[in-house]
Amino acid sequence: MQIRKPDSALLILGHGSTENPDSSQPTWDHAESIIRTGAFGSVHCAFWKEEPSFRQVWPMIEENEIYVVPNFISEGYFTRQVIPRELEIEGHSSQRGEKKIHYCDPVGIHDRMTDLLIKRALEIIDDGTKVEETALIIVGHGTNLNKKSTEAIKDQVTAIRERGPEQGAAFAEVLDAYMEEAPFIADWKEMTDAGTVVVVPFFIADALHSYQDIPVLLGIESEPTAAASQQEVFRRNPYEIDGRTLYYSSAIGTDASLAEVILDQVAYFDEHYLS
Amino acid sequence: MTLAETLETLLPPDAELRFGEIYLTRDKEGTFAARHRDDRESEDGLERIETREELRELAKFDAEGEYRPLKTAPTLRRGWITKTGEAADFLSRLDALYPGVFATWVAYQNGEIDPVPLRDTLERQTGMYKFSSSITDQMANEIMRSTCGKGCVRVITWPIDSRCPVSRLKPPAKILPVICTEACTFAVSEARRLAKEAYDKANAV
Repeated sequence: MQIRKPDSALLILGHGSTENPDSSQPTWDHAESIIRTGAFGSVHCAFWKEEPSFRQVWPMIEENEIYVVPNFISEGYFTRQVIPRELEIEGHSSQRGEKKIHYCDPVGIHDRMTDLLIKRALEIIDDGTKVEETALIIVGHGTNLNKKSTEAIKDQVTAIRERGPEQGAAFAEVLDAYMEEAPFIADWKEMTDAGTVVVVPFFIADALHSYQDIPVLLGIESEPTAAASQQEVFRRNPYEIDGRTLYYSSAIGTDASLAEVILDQVAYFDEHYLS
Repeated sequence: MTLAETLETLLPPDAELRFGEIYLTRDKEGTFAARHRDDRESEDGLERIETREELRELAKFDAEGEYRPLKTAPTLRRGWITKTGEAADFLSRLDALYPGVFATWVAYQNGEIDPVPLRDTLERQTGMYKFSSSITDQMANEIMRSTCGKGCVRVITWPIDSRCPVSRLKPPAKILPVICTEACTFAVSEARRLAKEAYDKANAV
């Protein structure tokens, strides 16, 4: 996707963390990658829990047309309530003084995420592993605050199942699971009989939830470890647990291709919402 | 005038500015430099840092290796210097250390942003932070004194509520002010903690 918008700015929004130093890193990495393409006049990031905050970022942006892309995994509490409120925007396009702001869909709901999830699952398993005997579990946060939070994951699970063996997704089963609502990831052994299980976290970063909390729920760590960036080895796949072989990948949001998905969401906005 | 041009004007050749814990200089040839203010006496032994990505990484941890989620916490590491001849590049490096702080000051000075009273910020919250709006004025003062006063180098420009407006900060000589125009996530979190503590105490069986 070739985007040339030298008179527009791109603002990428992330959650960030006051506890984990790795939470915002993928968002910054994708921003730097897009800066190198020269696609926009300027590229900025803002965060809910780090700086610049959603509230601080407007004065930094000098272009009069601004595309805002949430680097969030799903539609939900943040994209529907918190971000519009904090940025003081409404609907797809808003006018703030001289500035026209275009609010794009979050990266996680883009169709291209299906390819990335399949790619990530296949690249982590050892050569010789029979994909048709392997279960793929996509794990997300899940929350009672907004029902839409799990939709993105359920949609991806359906899309991967529909691809099937003909389109490179020959998994025995494709399942969704969550940290805070059923089906719980902690019950992964009861969810499938497959001898080999690949778990891909549908998260933006290898931070608190995907790197520290979920490994405990999976049973590959007894307690939360230090942050990923503070470890010598990222993870020691595969794990043998109760006669099963378990692979746990890094978060989908750390894939370098996410920078392209951010640009895809800008292109999607122009095609579908810009009248 | 762009932000980069404003920075060039505020820091002309052969000048210096204090910017929170950072010491900014510009030599006679126009090269910008930034370092920790405690390293201002000499450049000897300072590590030269050339990119905003490296500066962002430097600002991420304090001297003990602890994560610094608040970039304006008074714990910026020493021992580095960054130099460039380009104002826009220099601004992006300052933004790596103190994200958005320069732009906030410029917008504040130009009257483009108004400080947001603490109670407006708290009353806007939803979800787990909704509770934060029930703090007393005494708790608000405690947050300003402890969380903000001790944990951050920013100067508060917002009032507790809109009935008690504060006067606008004037630009001091040789200082680029590091200002706070709205309570951040740390102040909101502390408000929630104090409100919850008071509620639990009042409702203890």
